[in-house]
Amino acid sequence: MINAIEFNNVSYTYPRPAGEGGPARLALDRITLAVPEGQRVGVLGPNGGGKSTLLKLTLGMLPGHTGEIRVMGLPPREAAQRRLIGYVPQRSTAELKFPFTVRQVVEMGATLGLPAWKSLSREQRGNIDRALTLVGASEIAGSHIGSLSGGQLQRVLIARALACAPKVLLLDEPTVGIDAVGQQQFADLLRHLHDDLKLTVMVVSHDIRTVAAGCDRVACLSRTLHFHAAPQGLTPAVLAEVFRHDVAAIFGDIHVDAHAASACSDPSHHHGAVAPTPVSIRVEKTPR
Amino acid sequence: MNTLRYFMDPNLAAGYWPVVVTGLAVAMLCALLSVLVVLKRLAFIGQGISHAGFGGMGLAAVMGLVTAAAAGSASASVGQFLVVLGFCLLSALLIGFLSERGQAEADTAIGIVLVGTMAAGIVLMRTARSRASVESFLFGDILAVTWTDAAIGWTVAVGVLLALWLTRRALLFWSFDPVVARALGVSDRRMNLLLMFLLGLATVTAMRLAGAVLATAMLVLPGAIALRLSRRWLPVLWLAAASAVVGILGGLLVSFELNWPPGAAIVSVLCVLFGVACVPNLTRRVPA
Repeated sequence: MINAIEFNNVSYTYPRPAGEGGPARLALDRITLAVPEGQRVGVLGPNGGGKSTLLKLTLGMLPGHTGEIRVMGLPPREAAQRRLIGYVPQRSTAELKFPFTVRQVVEMGATLGLPAWKSLSREQRGNIDRALTLVGASEIAGSHIGSLSGGQLQRVLIARALACAPKVLLLDEPTVGIDAVGQQQFADLLRHLHDDLKLTVMVVSHDIRTVAAGCDRVACLSRTLHFHAAPQGLTPAVLAEVFRHDVAAIFGDIHVDAHAASACSDPSHHHGAVAPTPVSIRVEKTPR
Repeated sequence: MNTLRYFMDPNLAAGYWPVVVTGLAVAMLCALLSVLVVLKRLAFIGQGISHAGFGGMGLAAVMGLVTAAAAGSASASVGQFLVVLGFCLLSALLIGFLSERGQAEADTAIGIVLVGTMAAGIVLMRTARSRASVESFLFGDILAVTWTDAAIGWTVAVGVLLALWLTRRALLFWSFDPVVARALGVSDRRMNLLLMFLLGLATVTAMRLAGAVLATAMLVLPGAIALRLSRRWLPVLWLAAASAVVGILGGLLVSFELNWPPGAAIVSVLCVLFGVACVPNLTRRVPA
């Protein structure tokens, strides 16, 4: 099995903004990461911990890093341009006043890069229908994109990312602003993506519930990267270290019923699939 | 009726047909772009570019092109068009440069370039001692429109529509969701330049009819009217085209009949259409 995403000793420092004082900011420090094809990895960490930088590097959007990055064996920019990567940002990035239907938005994922005179092939139309069905958006395909709820919009943007049949799916804070039901549906969707499409998925989030419920492995990122079993290894002590705060004070009682797969404490270990077992994590609120 | 007299009399009709033909080219040219201008909130930058056109007119006057074009020289007309277009595009680049380099916020940069180029236009016109009136450049002049302008107008219209068709997939994706478009390899800089170039072309062409001050209205009102009436992409494009044609032909009719400057007459008709388009939304009950 080859690695879909590989980071080899990668560091990235944001350059000092022109005309401003202060030192350049080290965002990622010697990151080594290997995500085998078909695995779902959650990257958990506090705001400013380097999660978005990790995604941007995976998409090839930040030049000037040290170390080597490969996505499906290619430099990230090339992989993105060949449409091997699907990317779903936080929902606020789309202009929802555009007079587009859900289907038109999903089609954009397949038509970007097609020559102007070429229309969609039967196979590409099939991909679009399949993506809509997979995310449960077939019935709202004719609705205006601005009329959707947060959870529906999130699923439509995932369908757009799937419409070009990518090998790797990157999700940035996918459950921000989505209620508990929507979060559960999102976890189910991740499972479907894994089971039906064998997609490699990387989810970046600061929400423990999101990554614990839908991922095989969890990487805790706070400038440096540490792997932990998901969700068994996410003890209050580990989380407090990552978030630099008493996690119970942030999240309160957390109870996630999840199907955890492989438990990995190091990127070089345990990449084989482990039969899913229902588990839960519970972070008790500390008495004050 | 003046209009009938103008078009029934062969001597007068020769002077007025170019106005109508140019008007239709401007309508086609601006209608589709105006939808993007409204959705991308580019109205103010359009205003900046069109005012820069006045500075370009001043430069063309100093070069002797304005006087030669008014005397009927087709090559001088084309030269004048190119000088004004170049001036507009340089102004758009200057706005981009000032805001990108952090020298000024985007709206401040537009404001500075807008007044700076207007001032330059007035000084250059005085220097050139052109016989053409400043008012005709500011508010449009029917008698100044020739068959050369009509030919330039249709050439530009066909060119812009072709460019929009060829780039529609990347341009629409980038306009709708710039963050994901960038992640998938669509260049922000290229898309911005393309849009500025097309806006510059449309503005300079519309200026001949509506003048520097009111040309932007053509790039805002048809799109604003259409988006009030529909939330579907294709109907919006058709409605924008229809309202641009009605606005321009209706405005010319008013201009012929009441002897108003054509720019003011066209903008007045488009504003009335916008008011009518707002009525259904104003009368809709706000849910409790």
